[in-house]
Amino acid sequence: MHDIKLDAMGDPTRRAIVQTLRAQGAMAVGDLARRFPVSRPAISQHLKILKDARLVADEAQGRRRLYRLDPAGFSSLRDYFDQFWTEALDAFAEHVEARANLKRRKP
Amino acid sequence: MTTMAPDTSASIAPVRKSITVRATQADAFRIFTTDMDSWWPRSHHIGKSPMKRVIIEEKAGGRCYTEQEDNTECDWGSVLAWEPPRRFIFAWQITPQWQFEPDLAKSSEVEVTFTGLGDGRTRVDLEHRHFERHGAGGPAMRTGVDSPNGWGDLLGMFAAVAEKA
Repeated sequence: MHDIKLDAMGDPTRRAIVQTLRAQGAMAVGDLARRFPVSRPAISQHLKILKDARLVADEAQGRRRLYRLDPAGFSSLRDYFDQFWTEALDAFAEHVEARANLKRRKP
Repeated sequence: MTTMAPDTSASIAPVRKSITVRATQADAFRIFTTDMDSWWPRSHHIGKSPMKRVIIEEKAGGRCYTEQEDNTECDWGSVLAWEPPRRFIFAWQITPQWQFEPDLAKSSEVEVTFTGLGDGRTRVDLEHRHFERHGAGGPAMRTGVDSPNGWGDLLGMFAAVAEKA
């Protein structure tokens, strides 16, 4: 699940879409498309990827479909920092361990 | 333990991690801080070229920065507490736009404590907290700063959650 989120955020247009939704709240595809130098179908495709990654949710409002950030999806991204520090501390411990082994081998 | 005035905005739960290493408390502290370059994941920096090394200045108020392949320096934090061999706190000064944040009030912080276990091992406890502070600057349009490994907008996301909470 994290990989799909990170992949989704790996694209600059999608990151800009997320920032726009964050600033503007819910928006229709057409309103979003006007803010970007890419076509409306391209925006729709980006939104689909963001939606699949649970970063963006959509809802029908009358005849329009509005897109907004999905808070549930975002809160689980907190786990990414969790993962980052796990990796960093593991790297730290590995380095300390290698050093301890080196010291033991010295006469 | 808080080093700055309490934040009144909605808070996001800190990330807490612990690990035990085979080193004395003094050695563990030194390797984590002064020798951070020896273990820090190379992919994690905010420079525009590959990072050469990471440097922590050994004093409260000291800089945390990287030197990059293009010979630039890239600040990413400040030492808030330098208390060898027991405690090290640094500000995580990275904006939602993935750039250096000079304002400590808009930075999260990481506290690392070292506890000697008496058998040549040391427990290291890490807490990364106050993610909500990154939202203090309000929403900002991303200008296309690319991060090295796709987690560039993470803090912006934390801010988004904070604003919704």
